[in-house]
Amino acid sequence: MATASSSLTTSSMFTFPPTYSFPPFFSPQPNAQTRSAQLSKWSSLVQSYCRHHRIFKLLLSDALESPLFHNSKLMRRLSAHDAKAVVDYMTSKEGGNRAEWIGPATEKASAWIWWRRPEEWAGVLEAWVDGTGQKGTVLTLYELVEGEATENQEFHGMDMEVLRKSLGTLVKKGKAQVFGGEGQEGVKFF
Amino acid sequence: MGSNQSTPKISAQDRAILDMKNQRDKLRQYQKRITVITDREKSIAKECLARGNKEKALLALRQKKYQESLLAKTDSQLEQLEKLTSSVEFALVQKDVLYGLKQGTQVLQQIHREMGGLEAVEKLMGESEEARAYQQEISEALAGQMSNEDEDEVEDELERLEQETVVLPKAPSQGLGHEVVHDAADGIVDDHDLPDVPTSIAGHDPERLQKQRERAKARKIALNA
Repeated sequence: MATASSSLTTSSMFTFPPTYSFPPFFSPQPNAQTRSAQLSKWSSLVQSYCRHHRIFKLLLSDALESPLFHNSKLMRRLSAHDAKAVVDYMTSKEGGNRAEWIGPATEKASAWIWWRRPEEWAGVLEAWVDGTGQKGTVLTLYELVEGEATENQEFHGMDMEVLRKSLGTLVKKGKAQVFGGEGQEGVKFF
Repeated sequence: MGSNQSTPKISAQDRAILDMKNQRDKLRQYQKRITVITDREKSIAKECLARGNKEKALLALRQKKYQESLLAKTDSQLEQLEKLTSSVEFALVQKDVLYGLKQGTQVLQQIHREMGGLEAVEKLMGESEEARAYQQEISEALAGQMSNEDEDEVEDELERLEQETVVLPKAPSQGLGHEVVHDAADGIVDDHDLPDVPTSIAGHDPERLQKQRERAKARKIALNA
């Protein structure tokens, strides 16, 4: 599973946006309009950062120590409270539902970062299945994520939980069926 | 997740295929594990050699060799499994093809039944042949024969106009309908001018004319009768 800690270390260079080098970016802005713009900037930064490092599940405590929320050059960092506010904003409708807290709402320790939402992943999967003529064949979830056939696909190595979620959206639409025992699930696309 | 309305789409075959594919995945994972072990044994052997512990290095290498033999075995098993899986999948495709063929044959048979079988077709073809022949006859009767007779009659009339001007009036009453009988007299007058054109033909062959006259007479008699 691509937990934040493991993925954050395996990084090639990620180019931060110019705002990242702007100290006020790291403290909440009092003006509502400025605040909203700031949050939206943070949201897109978190998304592109997670996309670059292929982080699906962001563990807040890890992220706070990572370059994402900690600009060591500026000696500036986002506080845990402010980081939560950013993710909160991302989970809201205003923030485009680009995140989702995991676990009880009071905890807010880790969150799914939807740099691609499950239904968007579903579209990618569907396009791949369609393009490779695998409609109607049984595929294991393992081979979708880890198989040799998907090595050059974007969803290769994707989080199993996210895969299940995105397949779930296809199941709801009647475009796929997931079956089989826990940890041995297969999926059949229609 | 698996128990909503679309569940029936998953057949027993699908489950069997999934089992095989899961087995394959497990073998793959096993291979990964073995590869990690062999790599580790190799680094251990190197380390031991560097430290001058030849004995231990040999042991590690033996261990590595053994793991590698396992890897080769799993490779062949994997191949077997993949072969079987593709056979099953291919058989499913064949089943679909067969089903399609069956469906097509049924439709074809249905259409043939609607057509009433070979006999009916032969009968129909015979009938249509007959009808065509009949039509041909009619056409001939209408076109071919008419032209002959027309010719004859025209020539006849010419003949009569030329020679039997007094007897003629009766002739048109046959060719035309009875309502025209009245005009017979007029006809004579009109016809009187006609002869000029055909004379050359009529005069051509006196013998033929004679024959035609006879034929015409015979016909007239027959018609009168």
